[in-house]
Amino acid sequence: MTTPSSSPSTPTPSTPTPSTTTPSTSAGPTASVRGVRAARVVWRITKLNFKARLEYRGEFLMGVAIGAIWQVSIIVFATVLLTRFPGLGGWSSSDVLLIASMRMLAHGLYVLFLGRIQYMNVLVQEGIVDPCLIRPMPVYRQVQLAFFPVNAIGDLVVAVGLFAAALQRSSLDWTAGRIVYVVAGVLGGMLVEAALFTALAAAAFHFPATSYWAQWLEELMGTFGSYPLSILPKAASAAFTFVVPLAFIAYFPAGVLTGHGDDMGVPRALAVAAPFVGLVAFVLSRLLWNWSLSRYTGVNG
Amino acid sequence: MVPTPTPTPPPTRAPSSVPAPAPTPTPAVRLTLSRLRRIASVTPRGEFLAPPRMTATAVRLLVQVCLVVYLWRGLYANTESSAGLDETQAVGYAVLAVLAGRIRGLDRRAGRDTVIQHLHFGTIVYWYLRPMRPQRYYALRALGDQVYGFGWVLGGYVLCLAAGVVAPPASAEVAAVFAVSMLLGQLVLYYVMMLVDLLCFWTLRNEAALLILVFAQNLLSGVYAPLWYFPDWFITLSAFLPFQATLGVPLSIYVGRIGVGDAFGQMAVQGVWIVLLALLTRRLWDMAGCRVVAQGG
Amino acid sequence: MNAVIEARGLSKVFHTTVRRPGLGGALRSLVSPERVAKVAVRDVDFRVGKGELLALLGPNGAGKSTTIKMLTGILTPTSGEALVAGVVPHRDRERNAHNIGAVFGQRTQLWWDLPARESFAILRDIYGVPEDRYRERIAEFDGLLELSEFWDTRVRHLSLGQRVRCDLAASLLHDPPVVFLDEPTIGMDVVVKEQVRRFLRHQVEERERTVLLTTHDMTEVARLAERVVLINHGRIVLDGPLQEIRRRFGGTWQIRATLADAADLQEIERQERFAVGDGSCGSDGSGQGRGSVRGDRPDGSAGPGGSAGPGGPFGGQRDLSSLPGFAGIGVLRREGPRVVFGPVGDGAPSVHEALKVVIGRFQVTDLALEENDLEDVMRSAYLSDVPGQGALAPEGSSSSPSSFSSPSSDPSAPSDPSASSDSSSSAAVTSTSQGG
Repeated sequence: MTTPSSSPSTPTPSTPTPSTTTPSTSAGPTASVRGVRAARVVWRITKLNFKARLEYRGEFLMGVAIGAIWQVSIIVFATVLLTRFPGLGGWSSSDVLLIASMRMLAHGLYVLFLGRIQYMNVLVQEGIVDPCLIRPMPVYRQVQLAFFPVNAIGDLVVAVGLFAAALQRSSLDWTAGRIVYVVAGVLGGMLVEAALFTALAAAAFHFPATSYWAQWLEELMGTFGSYPLSILPKAASAAFTFVVPLAFIAYFPAGVLTGHGDDMGVPRALAVAAPFVGLVAFVLSRLLWNWSLSRYTGVNG
Repeated sequence: MVPTPTPTPPPTRAPSSVPAPAPTPTPAVRLTLSRLRRIASVTPRGEFLAPPRMTATAVRLLVQVCLVVYLWRGLYANTESSAGLDETQAVGYAVLAVLAGRIRGLDRRAGRDTVIQHLHFGTIVYWYLRPMRPQRYYALRALGDQVYGFGWVLGGYVLCLAAGVVAPPASAEVAAVFAVSMLLGQLVLYYVMMLVDLLCFWTLRNEAALLILVFAQNLLSGVYAPLWYFPDWFITLSAFLPFQATLGVPLSIYVGRIGVGDAFGQMAVQGVWIVLLALLTRRLWDMAGCRVVAQGG
Repeated sequence: MNAVIEARGLSKVFHTTVRRPGLGGALRSLVSPERVAKVAVRDVDFRVGKGELLALLGPNGAGKSTTIKMLTGILTPTSGEALVAGVVPHRDRERNAHNIGAVFGQRTQLWWDLPARESFAILRDIYGVPEDRYRERIAEFDGLLELSEFWDTRVRHLSLGQRVRCDLAASLLHDPPVVFLDEPTIGMDVVVKEQVRRFLRHQVEERERTVLLTTHDMTEVARLAERVVLINHGRIVLDGPLQEIRRRFGGTWQIRATLADAADLQEIERQERFAVGDGSCGSDGSGQGRGSVRGDRPDGSAGPGGSAGPGGPFGGQRDLSSLPGFAGIGVLRREGPRVVFGPVGDGAPSVHEALKVVIGRFQVTDLALEENDLEDVMRSAYLSDVPGQGALAPEGSSSSPSSFSSPSSDPSAPSDPSASSDSSSSAAVTSTSQGG
C-alpha cells in the first residue's frame, strides 16, 4: 500500500494526445475527426482505468460482488412488496416489475457511464479537480474518467437479468415502437439520474457537505424510484415529479408502456415525454455545472 | 523556563505531578473520565459548530418519516394484516427504524474521522502514535456518536408520539424489555459497523462499496422493511447473521410482533452475537495493527 | 554524548505485488499475483544526542520516511534495532508515545471539524498533560507561532501554513524529549517557514529537544541542521556536518581573476604544459558540482564527472600543484589575462584558502568568487551513487552508473522542494482516484 504501482491509477499519463488540444481553428480537423479522436482518448483512458482497478484484485472482485449485492437486495425488497401487497396502487406485479427493472437498468448504465459525478465532492476536497482545469479535455469528461466503476459490472449483470425476467413476465405485445420507447425510457432514466447528481455536484464545488445529500438521494431513488408513486399521497408524488423528479426515471415510461398513462397524476403527454425530459434535465444540469465550475475558486490546503 | 524531563526514564502514564488529589477520584480515574468526555464530545461539538448540518439532519429526518408513513399507509390501503403485522404496527416499526438510523449516521465523515478517511489521508499513523490504543479511541468516539444520536431519536420519538404516528408500547413491561433489547442491539450494531471499518484496513478503499455495504446491512437488519415480510429463505438466512439483532429484534418487541415471552430468547441471541463479534473485532484490531506496522499506514 | 535516538542496522523490506504487462497480464495477476520484495531501507546506523537537530536528507523515495516511521514505532523494522529515549518504539508503543512528538508533513492529526484549540484540549486529555503545564505550553507556542490569531477557526478552514503550525504545537503539547518532523515546512510561504524555523531552533536550544527532520528545503537545512544524514537508495551515504557534504559533493568553486603581470601568465602557461596528461581529472568546472564525484573514484578519468564535461576527459583543467601552496588548485579556463581557478582532485582547499594563495602569489586586478549553492551540492549528492556508510567504497563504481546519465539540469531533478516527499504520500494521493 505504501510504495508500489501508484502511477497507473491516474489517467494522467495517457491523456496528452496533442491533436485533441487543437482549438477550433478553421485549419484544424473537422468536428467529426475531432470527435473520433476524443472518443479514442476516452476509450484508451477507460482501458487504463480498468487495468488499474485490476491491480487490486481483492477490491476488484469485491466491487463486482458489491454491485450485485446492492441490486439483489433491491430485488428482494421489491419482491417483498409485490408478494405481500398485491395490487400495489392498482398495478399488477408484472407491471411493477417493469418499473423496477427499468430503473435498475438505468441505474446500472448511469453508474457505468456517468456515475463518477457523484464523487465530485471528494474530488474537489482532494484538489483533484484543480489539475483537471489545466488539461486539454472538458473537466466533466475528466471527472468521468477518474476511475473505472467496477461495481457497475455487478449492477448491470443483475439489472439485465431482472429486465429479461420482467420482459418475459409482461403480457405486452413488444412492437417495434414499444421497443424503441423502452430503450429511450431507460436512456432517459439514466439521464435523469445523472442530471440529479450533476446538479448536486455543481454545489459540491462550493459546499463540501453535499455527500450527505447525495447519499440521501441515492437512498430515495432506491426506495421510491422502483414503485408506482400512486400509492403515495398527491403531495408526495408531486414532489417526486417536480422537485426530485425520480418519477421520470422509470415510473412514467413504464406506466406509459403498460397502459397506466392516464392515472399517474400528470398529463399523459408529460409522462410520454419522460425520455425527452431526461435529456433536457441533463442538459440543464450540465449548464448549471459549467456555471458553477466557472465560479470555482479552488480549495485551500 | 520549563526544564525538559530527562529522556531515559519516560514520564509515567498518569500525571504523577498532580498535587495531592482529593481522595475519591484518583488521577487515573479523572484522566479516564476527562478523556471519555473529551473524545466522546467530538461529534456533538462539530455539529453544534455547524448549524446548517443540523438543520439538514432535521429536514431529512422529517421528510423521511413522512415518506415512510405515506408508503406504509399506502401499502396497507387494501390489506388488513400482512405477515402478522397490522397497519399501526408496520407504520410504527418503519418510523422507529428511520429514527434509529440517526443514532449512528455518517456525520463523522464530514469530520474526516472515519477509518477509511484516515487510511486514505494517511493520518491513521497518528492513531498509532498516541498513548491510547486505536480501539479505545474508536470506542469512545462511537460512544459519543451513539449518545448524541440518541438525543435526536428521543426528540423525534416524542414528536411522533405526539403526532400519533407511533403508538406507545403496549405495557411498561414491553417498554422495559424493548429498552434492554435496544441497548443490546446498539452494541451489536457498534460491532458490525466496526467490522466494516476494520475491513477498510485490507481491501475496502472504496467509498461506494462501503455505502452499499451499509445499505445491505440496513436491509438485513430490517431498516427498510420488517424482515417478517420477507420470503422464508431470507428469514432463515438472516437468522444466521447478526444484522437482525441490531434493529429488527428490538423494534419487533416494541410493536408487539415478538411477545415478551419470546423476547428473552432473542436477547440471548443478541448477547451471543455481542460476544462473538467482540472477539472477532479484537482479533481484527490486532491484525490491523500488524498491517499498519508492516506497511506504515 | 548520550544518544537519544539510536538506529542500529535498521532495515525494512516491503513485499508487494507487481502486475504483469498488458490487459491479459493484469487479468492473470488477478488470479495469481506475483510478489516481489523491495528493500526500502538497508542497514541504517546513526545516533542523535540530546538537544541535537539532525536533518535526514535524500531524494524522493530514498527511505527517509520509512526510517522515520521505524523510529516512531509505526513500522516494525525487518531487521536491526531502534532505540528512542531508551524505548524500543514498536515494542513499547505507549511508553514511546509519551516520549515522542511527530508531524508528518501535510497529514494533520487535528480534528477537522473542530477549532484547533479544541484539538489541543483533546490531545491534552489523551496524553494526560496537567492543566497548568498545558496552559504554560500553549502560551509558549502561541508566543512563538502566533496561534491565537486562528486557533478558534475550524481546522478545515485553516490555510496550510496555519494548520501545520497548529500541528507542530499539537505534537509538542506533552513535552516530548524527541520530535520527528517529516517535511514540516512543505508548501509554506517564506515568512511562515522562517517562523517555524525559529520555533524549531527554540525547541532545540532552549528546551533541549532532540529533533529529527526531513526536508527538501536546503535553506532550512543550512539554517537549522548542524548535522545531516544523507540517505539514498535506502542506505546512509554520509553522516556528518553540512560542510562535509559540501566537501564531498560540492567542493566546486571558481575564482575568476584578471592577472596584471605578464610574468604570472607565463608561469601559469608553463605549469599547464607541465601538467597536461598527468592524470589529474576533472570537470569542466562549470559549477555543476559534478567534479566532486571524483573524490570517490581514484582513477579519475573513468569518473563520469569527467566525461560529462564538454571538454572531454581532461576538460581543459590544468593542475598548478607544483607551484608552492597550490596543491589542489588548478586552472579551469584562461583567456588572455583572465584566469579561472578551481579545485583539483581530492583534498582541494576551500575557496577561502585558495583565494589567499592566489592573491599571495599573483598580482590581481579584478576578482570574483563563485561557490556552488547548497541545492547544486545536494543534486550532485543525490545523483551520485555512492553506497556505504560514508566510506570511499570502491565497489561503488560498479553500481548502476546509469543514474549519471540524467543531466543535472534536468527539471525533474530531485531537489525540487515542492515535489511531494515520498512514495507513500503520493500513493495516498493516487489511491483517491481509486476510490468510489
